[in-house]
Amino acid sequence: MNNITRRDALRVSGLTVFGATFLAACGKQSGVQQSDNISSEGEATPLAELPEGVVNDVVLLRTAASLEYNAIDTYTAALDGGLLTGDYAKLTDAVKRFRDDHIAHASALNGLIVALGGKEHTCANERIHRIYIQPALELITASDNPDLAKDVVALAHALENVATQTYQGVVTSLSAPNLRADAIRIAQDEARHAVVLAQVLNGGYASVGPTTNEATGKPNIASVPAPYGPLATIPLTIGAPSAEGLKTSLSLETPSLNSLIYDYVSC
Amino acid sequence: MTNAQARSPRSTPPAQPTEADKQLLQIAQGVEITAHDLYKKAADSGKFAGDELAMITMFGEHHNMYAQAINGLIGKAATNQRNESLYSTHVGQLGSAQSAYSALQNVENTVAATNTDILGQLQGIDAVRVLASIITIEARQAAVFGTLPGLNLTSALDKSANSLAPSIPQAPEASTETTVAP
Repeated sequence: MNNITRRDALRVSGLTVFGATFLAACGKQSGVQQSDNISSEGEATPLAELPEGVVNDVVLLRTAASLEYNAIDTYTAALDGGLLTGDYAKLTDAVKRFRDDHIAHASALNGLIVALGGKEHTCANERIHRIYIQPALELITASDNPDLAKDVVALAHALENVATQTYQGVVTSLSAPNLRADAIRIAQDEARHAVVLAQVLNGGYASVGPTTNEATGKPNIASVPAPYGPLATIPLTIGAPSAEGLKTSLSLETPSLNSLIYDYVSC
Repeated sequence: MTNAQARSPRSTPPAQPTEADKQLLQIAQGVEITAHDLYKKAADSGKFAGDELAMITMFGEHHNMYAQAINGLIGKAATNQRNESLYSTHVGQLGSAQSAYSALQNVENTVAATNTDILGQLQGIDAVRVLASIITIEARQAAVFGTLPGLNLTSALDKSANSLAPSIPQAPEASTETTVAP
């Protein structure tokens, strides 16, 4: 049983009264004016707000078209920059074919967009280029990278997977069933491109299905990476190895709300 | 773009398959069972061994999984019957490894084309999601036969195949025209 003396009770109540008075003095009761700019001088410049973006079939198709141009530009950089060297030079015809396929996809998508009353989009997705492709190309073309050509193929493989996943993911967002079929038709082309590149990077029957790198514990590149088409981040390991022998790992994702090509976005 | 529709007011499609969807998915299930049976026939033929046999077995099991997934979508409407016409067209081509590759690639392309046409008619979004994730893998499996044992780019990218999907009109009430809050 606790014994509280009259002296203890007075001490506790005295502290309570002091605390409440102090807090009140610091608050509104002490006459402090409420202001949104308490600790600043002058008025802050209002932030420029982005236009309200409405996501609809046209925006989704314009975003898909922009990804096609990302692929076109990347393949063009590989071809014009002479990045396919050594054994990888034999892929030149395949890369030209892939680029032609992406040009055809972009044209088909823009046809659909215009038919839906939208504005065609004929350039790459700037955000995808800035956060994924440009950093990857800088790592790949660094003077101390011994695997330039192989890493270009790895980037192309990753981009084909991004495109495949984008189309696969977007079918449930498209409102018109016929557009869903069109999207998944293009997805199949991208998936086939990915298989050809996967076999170049990690070929043979044993590499068709999912396997794991015993040294790193990470999944190897696979032609058929899962029983169902995955919708997940896409790893890309490229660049000059570090002192420990490790290359740089990037994670690519399909476009999200901040990288869609809204109606107000233009080339 | 999984969150893409979140900011846009739009009509909401039904999640579950409609009656017309179920008829279409019966067709899809039939071609999946056929593909599984053909791969099993090839695997049991003794013409494949090691990693090659493992790949053939894996592809066949994928189709078995797809048939089961469709079973889950349509429940009691599932017939679990293979497409005998598709089966008989290809079963005689499994006699050699080379002809089997050509036949199995053709089967993959046929199943992918059929599922694509079915996807283009579906109203129920759950089935659309499942079928989309199946189709991209079937395209990959078809392409593998163009890359092994050696790369044949034309074959790997060849998607020509006849779709077996019928055209089944949806009932007028199939689409639920409601609006979601932005």
